Amino acid sequence: VAGGRDFYEILGVARTASTEEIQRAYRKLARTYHPDVNKDPAAEERFKEISEAYDVLSDPDTRQRYDRFGPDFRQVPEGVDPDAWAAASGGRRRRAGGRSSGRRTPVDDSGIFTEGFGVGDIDIEDLFGDLFSRAPRGPVRGADQEAELELTVEEAFSGRRHHITLPGPDGPRSYDVTIPAGVTDGQRIRLPGQGGRGRGEGSPAGDLYLVVRLAPHPRFRLDGRDIYVDLLVTPWEAALGAKVPVDGPGGEAKVSVPAGSSSGRRLRLRRRGMPNPKGSPGDLYAEIKIMVPPHLTAKERELFEELGRVSAFDPRKPK
Amino acid sequence: VTTSLARPVCLSLDSFSRAAGLHPDLVTRLVALGLLDATYDAGGAPYFAPSELARVARIQRLREGLSINYAALGLVLDLLDRIDTLEAVLRGRRPTHGGNDRRWTRTA
Repeated sequence: VAGGRDFYEILGVARTASTEEIQRAYRKLARTYHPDVNKDPAAEERFKEISEAYDVLSDPDTRQRYDRFGPDFRQVPEGVDPDAWAAASGGRRRRAGGRSSGRRTPVDDSGIFTEGFGVGDIDIEDLFGDLFSRAPRGPVRGADQEAELELTVEEAFSGRRHHITLPGPDGPRSYDVTIPAGVTDGQRIRLPGQGGRGRGEGSPAGDLYLVVRLAPHPRFRLDGRDIYVDLLVTPWEAALGAKVPVDGPGGEAKVSVPAGSSSGRRLRLRRRGMPNPKGSPGDLYAEIKIMVPPHLTAKERELFEELGRVSAFDPRKPK
Repeated sequence: VTTSLARPVCLSLDSFSRAAGLHPDLVTRLVALGLLDATYDAGGAPYFAPSELARVARIQRLREGLSINYAALGLVLDLLDRIDTLEAVLRGRRPTHGGNDRRWTRTA
Protein backbone atom coordinates (compact mmCIF):
# COMPACT_ATOMS: atom_id res chain seq x y z
CA VAL A 1 0.00 0.00 0.00
CA ALA A 2 2.77 2.37 0.92
CA GLY A 3 4.47 1.87 -2.42
CA GLY A 4 2.78 4.95 -3.89
CA ARG A 5 3.48 8.56 -3.25
CA ASP A 6 5.70 9.96 -0.56
CA PHE A 7 3.80 10.55 2.68
CA TYR A 8 5.26 14.02 3.13
CA GLU A 9 4.23 14.90 -0.38
CA ILE A 10 0.72 13.62 0.27
CA LEU A 11 0.37 15.91 3.27
CA GLY A 12 2.20 18.73 1.47
CA VAL A 13 4.76 19.26 4.20
CA ALA A 14 8.56 19.35 4.22
CA ARG A 15 10.48 16.38 5.55
CA THR A 16 11.61 18.61 8.38
CA ALA A 17 8.04 19.54 9.37
CA SER A 18 7.20 19.55 13.06
CA THR A 19 4.50 17.30 14.53
CA GLU A 20 2.24 20.34 14.78
CA GLU A 21 2.71 21.22 11.12
CA ILE A 22 1.94 17.65 10.13
CA GLN A 23 -1.17 17.63 12.25
CA ARG A 24 -2.31 20.97 10.87
CA ALA A 25 -1.80 19.82 7.29
CA TYR A 26 -3.61 16.57 7.99
CA ARG A 27 -6.61 18.20 9.62
CA LYS A 28 -7.06 20.63 6.74
CA LEU A 29 -6.79 17.92 4.12
CA ALA A 30 -9.02 15.51 6.05
CA ARG A 31 -11.74 18.15 6.21
CA THR A 32 -11.41 18.81 2.50
CA TYR A 33 -11.42 15.23 1.30
CA HIS A 34 -13.66 13.45 3.80
CA PRO A 35 -16.09 11.45 1.65
CA ASP A 36 -19.09 12.92 3.46
CA VAL A 37 -17.93 16.45 2.73
CA ASN A 38 -16.48 15.93 -0.71
CA LYS A 39 -18.60 13.95 -3.14
CA ASP A 40 -15.97 13.78 -5.83
CA PRO A 41 -15.35 10.11 -6.63
CA ALA A 42 -11.61 10.74 -6.31
CA ALA A 43 -11.95 12.11 -2.79
CA GLU A 44 -12.35 8.72 -1.13
CA GLU A 45 -8.97 7.48 -2.30
CA ARG A 46 -7.33 10.77 -1.49
CA PHE A 47 -8.77 10.67 2.01
CA LYS A 48 -7.41 7.17 2.57
CA GLU A 49 -3.97 8.27 1.38
CA ILE A 50 -4.03 11.28 3.67
CA SER A 51 -5.10 9.18 6.65
CA GLU A 52 -2.44 6.59 5.98
CA ALA A 53 0.25 9.23 5.61
CA TYR A 54 -0.85 10.84 8.84
CA ASP A 55 -0.99 7.53 10.70
CA VAL A 56 2.65 7.00 9.85
CA LEU A 57 3.99 10.52 10.22
CA SER A 58 2.10 11.48 13.36
CA ASP A 59 3.86 8.84 15.39
CA PRO A 60 7.50 9.77 15.97
CA ASP A 61 8.58 6.14 15.96
CA THR A 62 6.97 5.10 12.73
CA ARG A 63 7.94 8.43 11.19
CA GLN A 64 11.56 7.79 12.01
CA ARG A 65 11.36 4.31 10.58
CA TYR A 66 9.70 5.69 7.47
CA ASP A 67 12.42 8.31 7.11
CA ARG A 68 15.08 5.61 7.46
CA PHE A 69 13.68 2.80 5.42
CA GLY A 70 11.29 4.52 3.04
CA PRO A 71 7.98 3.12 1.82
CA ASP A 72 8.92 -0.46 2.77
CA PHE A 73 9.51 0.41 6.39
CA ARG A 74 6.83 -1.99 7.55
CA GLN A 75 8.68 -4.91 6.07
CA VAL A 76 11.90 -4.03 7.83
CA PRO A 77 12.05 -6.07 11.02
CA GLU A 78 12.85 -4.23 14.17
CA GLY A 79 16.49 -4.21 15.07
CA VAL A 80 17.75 -4.14 11.54
CA ASP A 81 19.52 -0.92 12.15
CA PRO A 82 20.43 -0.89 15.84
CA ASP A 83 21.55 2.72 15.74
CA ALA A 84 18.30 3.95 14.33
CA TRP A 85 16.22 1.78 16.56
CA ALA A 86 18.12 2.82 19.66
CA ALA A 87 17.61 6.45 18.72
CA ALA A 88 13.93 5.82 18.07
CA SER A 89 13.37 4.05 21.38
CA GLY A 90 15.30 6.78 23.18
CA GLY A 91 13.10 9.40 21.70
CA ARG A 92 9.91 7.51 22.39
CA ARG A 93 7.70 9.39 24.69
CA ARG A 94 4.03 8.97 25.36
CA ARG A 95 2.31 12.05 24.17
CA ALA A 96 -0.26 13.04 26.72
CA GLY A 97 -3.66 13.32 25.13
CA GLY A 98 -2.23 12.24 21.84
CA ARG A 99 -3.65 9.76 19.46
CA SER A 100 -2.93 6.28 20.64
CA SER A 101 -4.53 4.14 18.01
CA GLY A 102 -4.50 6.06 14.82
CA ARG A 103 -7.28 8.22 13.53
CA ARG A 104 -10.10 6.49 15.29
CA THR A 105 -9.47 8.11 18.64
CA PRO A 106 -11.91 10.88 19.37
CA VAL A 107 -10.42 14.12 20.59
CA ASP A 108 -11.51 16.59 23.21
CA ASP A 109 -14.91 15.11 23.76
CA SER A 110 -15.49 14.67 27.42
CA GLY A 111 -16.29 18.13 28.72
CA ILE A 112 -19.01 18.89 26.25
CA PHE A 113 -20.86 15.73 26.98
CA THR A 114 -21.05 15.64 30.72
CA GLU A 115 -21.96 19.29 30.67
CA GLY A 116 -24.48 19.18 27.89
CA PHE A 117 -26.41 16.31 29.37
CA GLY A 118 -26.03 16.99 33.03
CA VAL A 119 -24.89 13.51 33.80
CA GLY A 120 -22.40 13.91 36.56
CA ASP A 121 -21.64 10.42 37.64
CA ILE A 122 -21.25 8.67 34.33
CA ASP A 123 -18.69 9.72 31.83
CA ILE A 124 -20.86 9.23 28.79
CA GLU A 125 -18.12 10.00 26.40
CA ASP A 126 -16.02 7.22 27.88
CA LEU A 127 -18.90 4.85 27.57
CA PHE A 128 -19.32 5.90 23.97
CA GLY A 129 -15.68 5.64 23.14
CA ASP A 130 -15.77 2.20 24.69
CA LEU A 131 -18.76 1.09 22.76
CA PHE A 132 -17.21 2.26 19.57
CA SER A 133 -13.84 0.68 20.10
CA ARG A 134 -15.08 -2.49 21.79
CA ALA A 135 -17.94 -3.27 19.49
CA PRO A 136 -16.94 -5.42 16.56
CA ARG A 137 -16.33 -2.91 13.85
CA GLY A 138 -19.57 -3.48 12.07
CA PRO A 139 -20.39 -2.75 8.48
CA VAL A 140 -20.62 0.92 7.59
CA ARG A 141 -22.31 1.83 4.35
CA GLY A 142 -20.15 3.82 1.96
CA ALA A 143 -20.74 7.49 1.23
CA ASP A 144 -22.62 8.68 -1.84
CA GLN A 145 -20.58 10.23 -4.59
CA GLU A 146 -21.34 12.70 -7.33
CA ALA A 147 -19.74 13.26 -10.69
CA GLU A 148 -20.63 15.72 -13.41
CA LEU A 149 -21.57 14.57 -16.86
CA GLU A 150 -21.39 17.27 -19.48
CA LEU A 151 -23.70 16.86 -22.43
CA THR A 152 -24.35 18.98 -25.48
CA VAL A 153 -27.90 20.14 -26.08
CA GLU A 154 -28.13 17.76 -29.04
CA GLU A 155 -27.01 14.81 -26.90
CA ALA A 156 -29.56 15.64 -24.24
CA PHE A 157 -32.21 16.02 -26.93
CA SER A 158 -31.70 12.69 -28.60
CA GLY A 159 -30.31 10.69 -25.67
CA ARG A 160 -27.48 8.25 -26.13
CA ARG A 161 -25.09 5.86 -24.54
CA HIS A 162 -22.15 7.38 -22.75
CA HIS A 163 -18.92 5.79 -21.81
CA ILE A 164 -17.58 7.41 -18.68
CA THR A 165 -14.44 6.75 -16.68
CA LEU A 166 -14.11 7.78 -13.06
CA PRO A 167 -11.37 7.35 -10.51
CA GLY A 168 -12.13 4.49 -8.17
CA PRO A 169 -10.71 2.59 -5.22
CA ASP A 170 -9.10 0.00 -7.48
CA GLY A 171 -8.01 2.26 -10.28
CA PRO A 172 -10.20 3.87 -12.91
CA ARG A 173 -13.63 2.36 -13.43
CA SER A 174 -15.78 2.68 -16.50
CA TYR A 175 -19.47 2.65 -17.09
CA ASP A 176 -21.68 2.60 -20.11
CA VAL A 177 -24.59 4.75 -19.15
CA THR A 178 -27.66 5.20 -21.31
CA ILE A 179 -28.81 8.75 -21.00
CA PRO A 180 -32.51 8.98 -21.82
CA ALA A 181 -33.64 11.55 -24.33
CA GLY A 182 -34.74 14.75 -22.65
CA VAL A 183 -32.51 15.05 -19.58
CA THR A 184 -32.36 18.55 -18.20
CA ASP A 185 -29.57 20.56 -16.67
CA GLY A 186 -28.95 19.51 -13.07
CA GLN A 187 -30.83 16.23 -13.32
CA ARG A 188 -29.23 13.40 -11.41
CA ILE A 189 -28.83 9.87 -12.68
CA ARG A 190 -28.40 7.35 -9.92
CA LEU A 191 -26.11 4.36 -10.20
CA PRO A 192 -26.95 2.32 -7.10
CA GLY A 193 -24.06 0.74 -5.24
CA GLN A 194 -21.42 2.49 -7.36
CA GLY A 195 -20.44 5.12 -4.79
CA GLY A 196 -17.94 5.01 -1.95
CA ARG A 197 -16.98 1.61 -0.62
CA GLY A 198 -18.52 0.44 2.61
CA ARG A 199 -16.37 -0.61 5.50
CA GLY A 200 -16.49 -4.15 6.83
CA GLU A 201 -17.84 -7.36 5.45
CA GLY A 202 -21.13 -7.25 3.63
CA SER A 203 -21.42 -3.50 3.96
CA PRO A 204 -23.15 -1.90 1.01
CA ALA A 205 -21.40 0.74 -1.06
CA GLY A 206 -22.93 4.18 -1.42
CA ASP A 207 -24.60 5.37 -4.59
CA LEU A 208 -23.03 7.25 -7.42
CA TYR A 209 -24.94 10.17 -8.88
CA LEU A 210 -24.17 11.57 -12.29
CA VAL A 211 -25.24 15.19 -12.41
CA VAL A 212 -26.08 16.32 -15.92
CA ARG A 213 -24.56 19.61 -17.01
CA LEU A 214 -25.64 20.98 -20.34
CA ALA A 215 -22.77 22.66 -22.10
CA PRO A 216 -23.47 26.18 -23.34
CA HIS A 217 -24.63 26.08 -26.92
CA PRO A 218 -23.82 28.70 -29.53
CA ARG A 219 -27.43 28.86 -30.73
CA PHE A 220 -29.76 27.17 -28.28
CA ARG A 221 -30.68 28.54 -24.87
CA LEU A 222 -32.53 26.29 -22.50
CA ASP A 223 -35.07 27.04 -19.85
CA GLY A 224 -36.09 23.73 -18.38
CA ARG A 225 -37.41 21.85 -21.38
CA ASP A 226 -38.11 24.95 -23.44
CA ILE A 227 -35.53 25.78 -26.04
CA TYR A 228 -34.94 29.27 -27.39
CA VAL A 229 -33.29 30.00 -30.66
CA ASP A 230 -32.72 33.25 -32.52
CA LEU A 231 -34.65 33.53 -35.75
CA LEU A 232 -32.75 35.82 -38.09
CA VAL A 233 -34.97 37.67 -40.53
CA THR A 234 -34.59 40.51 -43.02
CA PRO A 235 -36.37 43.81 -42.37
CA TRP A 236 -38.79 43.14 -45.21
CA GLU A 237 -39.58 39.59 -43.97
CA ALA A 238 -40.31 41.07 -40.56
CA ALA A 239 -42.45 43.84 -41.99
CA LEU A 240 -44.34 41.86 -44.60
CA GLY A 241 -44.47 38.45 -42.99
CA ALA A 242 -42.83 35.32 -44.33
CA LYS A 243 -42.45 31.60 -43.92
CA VAL A 244 -38.89 30.91 -42.84
CA PRO A 245 -37.05 27.78 -41.72
CA VAL A 246 -36.03 27.50 -38.09
CA ASP A 247 -33.33 25.07 -37.13
CA GLY A 248 -34.05 23.31 -33.84
CA PRO A 249 -32.13 20.45 -32.22
CA GLY A 250 -34.71 18.04 -33.63
CA GLY A 251 -34.29 19.26 -37.18
CA GLU A 252 -35.68 21.98 -39.33
CA ALA A 253 -39.20 23.33 -39.10
CA LYS A 254 -41.03 26.02 -41.03
CA VAL A 255 -42.38 28.91 -39.08
CA SER A 256 -44.63 31.74 -40.19
CA VAL A 257 -43.36 35.13 -39.22
CA PRO A 258 -46.45 37.35 -38.90
CA ALA A 259 -46.34 40.63 -40.73
CA GLY A 260 -45.22 43.51 -38.51
CA SER A 261 -42.94 41.50 -36.22
CA SER A 262 -40.24 43.44 -34.44
CA SER A 263 -37.07 42.02 -32.89
CA GLY A 264 -37.74 40.10 -29.70
CA ARG A 265 -41.08 38.67 -30.75
CA ARG A 266 -41.28 35.02 -29.88
CA LEU A 267 -42.90 32.44 -32.06
CA ARG A 268 -43.78 29.29 -30.26
CA LEU A 269 -43.47 25.89 -31.83
CA ARG A 270 -45.41 23.64 -29.55
CA ARG A 271 -43.77 20.43 -28.37
CA ARG A 272 -40.67 21.01 -30.47
CA GLY A 273 -38.50 21.56 -27.38
CA MET A 274 -36.74 19.04 -25.19
CA PRO A 275 -38.52 15.67 -25.05
CA ASN A 276 -39.90 14.60 -21.70
CA PRO A 277 -39.76 10.92 -20.76
CA LYS A 278 -42.49 11.49 -18.20
CA GLY A 279 -44.81 13.91 -19.91
CA SER A 280 -45.21 16.41 -22.65
CA PRO A 281 -42.12 17.83 -24.29
CA GLY A 282 -41.09 21.45 -23.98
CA ASP A 283 -41.66 24.10 -26.60
CA LEU A 284 -39.29 25.61 -29.07
CA TYR A 285 -39.31 29.40 -29.13
CA ALA A 286 -37.96 31.19 -32.16
CA GLU A 287 -37.07 34.75 -31.21
CA ILE A 288 -37.12 37.20 -34.04
CA LYS A 289 -33.95 39.11 -34.63
CA ILE A 290 -34.01 41.56 -37.54
CA MET A 291 -30.76 41.77 -39.43
CA VAL A 292 -29.80 44.43 -41.93
CA PRO A 293 -27.27 44.04 -44.71
CA PRO A 294 -23.90 45.21 -43.40
CA HIS A 295 -23.05 46.78 -46.74
CA LEU A 296 -25.70 48.24 -48.95
CA THR A 297 -25.59 48.17 -52.66
CA ALA A 298 -26.46 51.39 -54.45
CA LYS A 299 -29.90 50.11 -55.20
CA GLU A 300 -30.56 48.94 -51.64
CA ARG A 301 -29.42 52.26 -50.29
CA GLU A 302 -31.74 54.05 -52.67
CA LEU A 303 -34.71 51.93 -51.59
CA PHE A 304 -33.99 52.35 -47.89
CA GLU A 305 -33.59 56.08 -48.32
CA GLU A 306 -36.88 56.22 -50.09
CA LEU A 307 -38.52 54.18 -47.35
CA GLY A 308 -37.04 56.56 -44.81
CA ARG A 309 -38.55 59.53 -46.59
CA VAL A 310 -41.96 57.97 -47.09
CA SER A 311 -42.49 56.25 -43.73
CA ALA A 312 -43.86 58.08 -40.70
CA PHE A 313 -42.90 55.24 -38.37
CA ASP A 314 -40.81 56.28 -35.36
CA PRO A 315 -40.26 53.52 -32.80
CA ARG A 316 -38.92 56.06 -30.27
CA LYS A 317 -42.05 58.15 -30.27
CA PRO A 318 -44.40 57.25 -27.40
CA LYS A 319 -47.78 56.02 -28.58
CA VAL B 1 -65.67 -1.40 8.42
CA THR B 2 -62.12 -2.50 8.88
CA THR B 3 -59.23 -0.22 8.29
CA SER B 4 -55.83 -1.66 7.87
CA LEU B 5 -53.17 -0.16 10.06
CA ALA B 6 -50.30 0.01 7.69
CA ARG B 7 -47.05 0.89 9.31
CA PRO B 8 -44.33 2.23 7.06
CA VAL B 9 -41.34 -0.04 6.65
CA CYS B 10 -39.45 0.40 9.90
CA LEU B 11 -36.71 -1.32 11.79
CA SER B 12 -36.84 -2.26 15.43
CA LEU B 13 -33.97 -1.25 17.69
CA ASP B 14 -32.50 -4.73 17.43
CA SER B 15 -32.66 -5.09 13.71
CA PHE B 16 -31.50 -1.53 13.21
CA SER B 17 -28.53 -2.06 15.52
CA ARG B 18 -27.64 -5.28 13.77
CA ALA B 19 -27.84 -3.68 10.36
CA ALA B 20 -25.75 -0.73 11.55
CA GLY B 21 -23.23 -2.96 13.29
CA LEU B 22 -23.61 -1.04 16.53
CA HIS B 23 -24.50 -1.89 20.09
CA PRO B 24 -28.19 -1.10 20.79
CA ASP B 25 -27.09 1.06 23.75
CA LEU B 26 -25.09 3.24 21.44
CA VAL B 27 -28.01 3.53 19.03
CA THR B 28 -30.23 4.58 21.95
CA ARG B 29 -27.65 7.18 22.93
CA LEU B 30 -27.47 8.52 19.41
CA VAL B 31 -31.23 8.97 19.49
CA ALA B 32 -31.01 10.71 22.87
CA LEU B 33 -28.44 13.05 21.39
CA GLY B 34 -30.76 13.91 18.54
CA LEU B 35 -28.37 12.48 15.97
CA LEU B 36 -30.78 9.77 14.86
CA ASP B 37 -34.53 9.98 14.45
CA ALA B 38 -36.81 7.31 15.86
CA THR B 39 -40.55 6.91 16.09
CA TYR B 40 -42.13 5.10 19.02
CA ASP B 41 -44.91 2.54 19.05
CA ALA B 42 -47.64 2.42 21.67
CA GLY B 43 -45.40 0.43 23.99
CA GLY B 44 -42.66 3.03 23.72
CA ALA B 45 -40.32 0.89 21.65
CA PRO B 46 -38.30 2.86 19.11
CA TYR B 47 -38.55 2.22 15.39
CA PHE B 48 -36.21 3.47 12.72
CA ALA B 49 -36.76 4.40 9.12
CA PRO B 50 -34.35 2.60 6.79
CA SER B 51 -32.96 5.99 5.74
CA GLU B 52 -31.50 6.33 9.23
CA LEU B 53 -29.04 3.58 8.30
CA ALA B 54 -27.38 5.91 5.82
CA ARG B 55 -27.29 8.55 8.53
CA VAL B 56 -25.73 6.29 11.13
CA ALA B 57 -23.09 5.25 8.58
CA ARG B 58 -22.36 8.91 7.97
CA ILE B 59 -22.07 9.46 11.74
CA GLN B 60 -19.54 6.66 11.99
CA ARG B 61 -17.53 7.83 9.00
CA LEU B 62 -17.39 11.41 10.24
CA ARG B 63 -16.45 10.35 13.72
CA GLU B 64 -13.70 8.04 12.59
CA GLY B 65 -12.40 10.15 9.77
CA LEU B 66 -12.43 13.56 11.36
CA SER B 67 -12.51 12.78 15.09
CA ILE B 68 -15.65 14.86 15.48
CA ASN B 69 -17.25 14.63 18.89
CA TYR B 70 -20.91 13.84 19.29
CA ALA B 71 -22.01 17.36 20.12
CA ALA B 72 -20.32 18.77 17.03
CA LEU B 73 -21.57 15.87 14.92
CA GLY B 74 -25.13 17.12 15.28
CA LEU B 75 -24.13 20.44 13.84
CA VAL B 76 -22.07 18.88 11.06
CA LEU B 77 -24.96 16.60 10.06
CA ASP B 78 -27.38 19.52 10.04
CA LEU B 79 -25.04 21.62 7.92
CA LEU B 80 -24.42 18.79 5.48
CA ASP B 81 -28.19 18.29 5.19
CA ARG B 82 -28.65 21.98 4.52
CA ILE B 83 -25.95 21.94 1.88
CA ASP B 84 -27.66 18.95 0.24
CA THR B 85 -30.95 20.84 0.21
CA LEU B 86 -29.36 23.98 -1.20
CA GLU B 87 -27.53 22.03 -3.86
CA ALA B 88 -30.75 20.31 -4.83
CA VAL B 89 -32.44 23.71 -5.17
CA LEU B 90 -29.54 24.99 -7.25
CA ARG B 91 -29.67 21.94 -9.47
CA GLY B 92 -33.35 22.46 -10.07
CA ARG B 93 -33.04 26.18 -10.67
CA ARG B 94 -33.45 27.00 -14.26
CA PRO B 95 -30.70 28.96 -15.89
CA THR B 96 -31.83 32.52 -16.36
CA HIS B 97 -32.93 33.42 -19.76
CA GLY B 98 -32.38 36.97 -21.00
CA GLY B 99 -35.28 38.98 -19.56
CA ASN B 100 -38.39 37.59 -17.89
CA ASP B 101 -40.55 38.52 -20.80
CA ARG B 102 -42.78 35.52 -21.39
CA ARG B 103 -44.51 36.89 -24.45
CA TRP B 104 -44.97 34.51 -27.27
CA THR B 105 -46.88 34.41 -30.45
CA ARG B 106 -49.01 31.53 -31.51
CA THR B 107 -47.96 30.13 -34.83
CA ALA B 108 -50.48 29.09 -37.39
